[in-house]
Parts: sequence; structure tokens; C-alpha cells
Amino acid sequence: MKTNRHRLDKIYLSLISFISLFGVVILVLVFAYIFNKGTRLLSWNLIVGDYYPEVYNARSDGVIGENMFVRPENLSENAWFSAKWGIALEDNADFEGKNYIKVVYIDKNSPLANMPDKNDTNHMVGLKKGHSLDKVIFTNNVIVLSREGAQNAILLFDEAEGIADIIFSKPGNGIRGSLITTGYLILFTLIIALPLGIFTAIYLNEFANPGRWYVKWLRRLVETLTGVPSIIYGLFGAALFIPFISSITSSEGGNILTGALTLSVMVLPIVISATEDALKAIPDDFRHASLALGANRSQTTFKIVLRAAIPGILSGVLLSIGRIIGESAALIYAVGTAIKDKIILTEKSTSLSVFIWSVMSGENPNFELAASVAIIIMIFVLLLNLGIKIISSKFIFKHN
Amino acid sequence: MPNVIEIKNLTFKYKDKIALHNIDIAFPARQVTALIGPSGCGKSTLLRCLNRMNDLIEQTAISGEITYEGKDIYDRYYDVIELRTKIGMVFQKPNPFPMSIFDNVAYGPRCQGVKEKKKLQEIVKKALLDAALYEEVKDRLKESAMSLSGGQQQRLCIARAIAMNPQVILMDEPTSALDPIATAKIEELISDLKTSYTIIIVTHNMQQAARISDFTAFFLMGNLVEYGETDQIFSKPLQPKTEEYITGRFG
Repeated sequence: MKTNRHRLDKIYLSLISFISLFGVVILVLVFAYIFNKGTRLLSWNLIVGDYYPEVYNARSDGVIGENMFVRPENLSENAWFSAKWGIALEDNADFEGKNYIKVVYIDKNSPLANMPDKNDTNHMVGLKKGHSLDKVIFTNNVIVLSREGAQNAILLFDEAEGIADIIFSKPGNGIRGSLITTGYLILFTLIIALPLGIFTAIYLNEFANPGRWYVKWLRRLVETLTGVPSIIYGLFGAALFIPFISSITSSEGGNILTGALTLSVMVLPIVISATEDALKAIPDDFRHASLALGANRSQTTFKIVLRAAIPGILSGVLLSIGRIIGESAALIYAVGTAIKDKIILTEKSTSLSVFIWSVMSGENPNFELAASVAIIIMIFVLLLNLGIKIISSKFIFKHN
Repeated sequence: MPNVIEIKNLTFKYKDKIALHNIDIAFPARQVTALIGPSGCGKSTLLRCLNRMNDLIEQTAISGEITYEGKDIYDRYYDVIELRTKIGMVFQKPNPFPMSIFDNVAYGPRCQGVKEKKKLQEIVKKALLDAALYEEVKDRLKESAMSLSGGQQQRLCIARAIAMNPQVILMDEPTSALDPIATAKIEELISDLKTSYTIIIVTHNMQQAARISDFTAFFLMGNLVEYGETDQIFSKPLQPKTEEYITGRFG
């Protein structure tokens, strides 16, 4: 009997260990996959760059003097340098695996740094570090194509005297526009939801008679709304806020303002319950001490209770920001899915999460870019969680 | 000796339980009156009736009359806020606000609309001096009140009450959470304060009542058993119950 029980115990224990190990392995695999796919594109340019590439077309009259440029010492070994033109090129591959020539260095006196635009000769354009060199036709009719590689291009550059036609581009796939949209969404959502949520929580916790039926129902409603799937908020936003914003501005369809309104409704229950929890944690001693000093109820609430509850309210704010950053379903209707570089409040754009959806849903799903954005979102969420941890560890009330 | 507060025929009910039963008592000005009695006898409830802190508890009922300076404080038109600026209170647990020492003392005056920095500084300094705390904290008025020791926190709470320049200070077992040294300091402070304030103190500690009070009221199960000068109560009590209690036979 005893041995049997002992054996069963062992079996259960190993089963539990195995299952938890399985869970951990799956999580690690997901993260490893995303990091493996996404880290290559992670760069400062990804964060500050435009999504759509900008193509330039120019010509150049030629070099100023022979071999006047010196190869900089910090160039990598893969870079090919032209002493005649003062540029260094390198082979690179885009997310689809296509080869292109990347400009890794250009001297500020290089003739290529300052060329008249073909479409508007009064306008000067220049090659910059990070640009992609797409096609060059020299005055001797020799043609450089990007797929032929950097070494070939530098050889031809050194032979040439002038450039009849050069096409180069600033690479796209940057997320600046979506980052700005996400920032706007966070800002406007909090501006709308914070005062509403905090005042509702103050009413519920400090002023309302807890026995009243409508107080009970309001509380129950808030609890229910916390669990409503976000796509339903999206529908609600589409049905109510899009016509509303369209009627007061010239916008059509979803935009950042309708998105912020929709998200405010979505995070309102979070703000209310976080604030209520924070208010409940303030000992009544403080309220009594304040009232006994001849302060009235609103002075007590705003000067003492709310002040002491700020850390708790702040962790509610961080939770809301996390929700806003991570939200996609509600925003597909409310903000739209069109990636934009120029952000206008009354026009469609994408938040970071919807950006992932957008780049994955085209004809060529850009998984690498999606994974990079996923990493950025995860870093944000990680930082927010850390912030909540720090704040709530300080929130454990120091009152003896 | 004029009476500051007079209570006539006061009955206080909490839900169905009678907490105070037909109490008649008057508190003389600039004297220390101690309310003693076993736990649950109603002494704290009586204290909280005096600045209407019992208003905060639901399902209570009060009958009878409490007059402060001749006016019924339970009158419909009586200004409770005004009352609480005249009758201050110190609680059992030191409960300074989680803000600086200066802001704690300045809180009451600020709530009454005192904004002038110089005036606030004057008020705070005087209150801290009166509460015998100034020397200990004068160099760290901007520090959090939470950094003070328990005894200092309680003296800060007394300073906070004094800053309102009240007539009466109610103290609800102010030393029960403190060590003997801090307790001695508070007792000494109470003796100093009675030249300017009327003090009504609830205490569990019989020696404390004997040491610091001029008058003592003994409560038992919601009834006022005996009220008189402290010397008389502790040396020749009229009621046998009082004698039993102060000699430690129950309670």
C-alpha cells in the first residue's frame, strides 16, 4: 500500500514537471523565433525611418580631381571604396532576399553628395549613407545595375568621367509613422479616459453610498466591461465615433481621433478599477484625521486621499498604455490599416500592432519587419511591466 | 469654572445596540478630563460624539443634547466643519499624512484658506513649539513625517491639532501605541497644554488618568457610573463599581 502511494506520487510529480517544462519550451521557442527573425532589421533607421522608399533621379557633371579622396579607416572589409568619387559601397539584401548596393560612406565633398535633380535642375539632391544605389548610366554609356554587386559598381565608377543618369533611393520599411500614431493614441486616449475614470472611481469609492442599487450596478457594469472583447469596442467606435468625428471634421472613416475615443471607452474600466483599488488601499485613518482638522470632504479627497493614491493610479495608467500599444482588433475599424509616413489626426494610419497586421497581409508578407516591430512592442510592454512592479512595490503603504 | 461642553440626556445607538445611555456630563474649561472604563464601555463613542466624527458611521442614532459654547452641535444648521476647527482630535494610532512635517502641520490652516507663506510658517513654528517637537524637527521640516518615531509622530499629530488654534482637544488613547518614554513625554505635554486648552482624554491606563487629569469620568456598559474630581475618584470613590474597577478587580 505504502509503496503504491509512493509510486503514484512520483508519477504525478514527474508529469507536472514535464508539463511545465513543455510550456516553458514553447514560450522560449516563440521568443527565440521572433528574435531570430526580427533582430537583423532592428536599427535606429527602422525606428526613425519612413515606411515608403523615396526615389531620387539625378545627374552629375563629373569629378573635381583625380583620386583626391582617402578611404576612411573605420570602413568594414566588405566595403568597396572609390578614391575618385569618395564613396564606399557594400552588398546588402532586403527583406525579400533581393541584393542591392548600399552606400556605407560618402565624403562630404564628393560630387555625388550634391547633384542637380533630373526633374528640377534648380533642386540639388545627394547620395547619403544608408541609401540604396539602384541604377547608374555613365556618360560613356556604361550601366551599373544594383544586382551586379558593389565591386563591379566601384570598378565602373573609377573608369567613368561623368554621370548621365543616377537613380538611388532612401530605403523604406521604417516605423516612424506608426510610432507617432501610437504616441498620439496613447496621449489622446489618456487625456479622455483618465479624468473620466478617476472621477468615476472617486465618486464610487468616496462619495456614493455603497448600499444604493445604482452604485452596485455601476460597479458590476465596470467589471463586465473589463472582460468585453476588444473587437466589440471597435464596432462600437465605428458605429458611434466615426460618424461623430466625420460630422465635426472633414475626415472620412476611421482616424486617430476616432481611434482614441474608441480606446478611451476600452481602457475606462481599467482606469476605474485601478483607481478604486488604489483608493481602497488608503487607510481610513487619513480620512478621519483630515476631517477632524476641519477639512471638508472634497479637500480630504483631493489633498489627502488622491495624493496618497497616485502610485496606484499610475500603475493603472501604465496598464492602460500597455493595452493601447497591444490593441489591434478594435483599431482595424477605428483607425484603419493604411501605413502612413505623414501623420494627420483626422486621417487613417496604423498603430504599431496594426502595422504588423498590415505588413503581413499584403502580397509579400514581410515577416522580418513584423518580427522587428514585435520585438519593439515586447520591449515596450516589458518596460511598462517593470514600471508597474516598481511602483506597486513602493505602494505597499508605509503606515505603522 | 465655566463649562465648555455640556451633555444632557445623551443616548447613542449603533444599529440596535445602545452604546451610550442617558449620559449627563459637563466638561470644565482648561482642565484635563479623563474618560475611563473597560473596553466597549462607550467612552470612545462619547468622545467622537463631541466633534461629530460619529457622523461618518452609518446606521447610528443619537438623541439628547450636546452643547458647545451654549449651542447645540447636533442642530440641523450647525456647521460641522467649523465645529471641528474648534474641537481638535488626536487619534489612538499616530496618523500623520504621508507628506512633509511642515505640510502636516500646515494642512489644517491651509484648508481654512490660509495661503500666506509667512503666516503659515509662524503657525507651524508655534504649533511645533507648543507640542514640544520643534527642537527635534526644526532642521528637517521638509522631510516626510513618516520618518519620525512613533512618539514624535503622535506629538506631530498634536501639533497638527494645535495649529488650528482649537479650544478643546479630544484625545483617544493617544499613548496606547507608544513606549513608556514617549508616553511620559506626551503626558508632560498634556499638563503643559491645559493652561491654554480644554483636554478630554480617553485612556485605558488608570495611572495615567490619575497622573494627568483633573476630573475623571468612569463609564460602564454605556452608563456614566461616576464623575468627579480625579483625587476623589481615585481615593474615595462613591460607587462600589468604580472602586472595583480602579483597584483592578475587573476590566
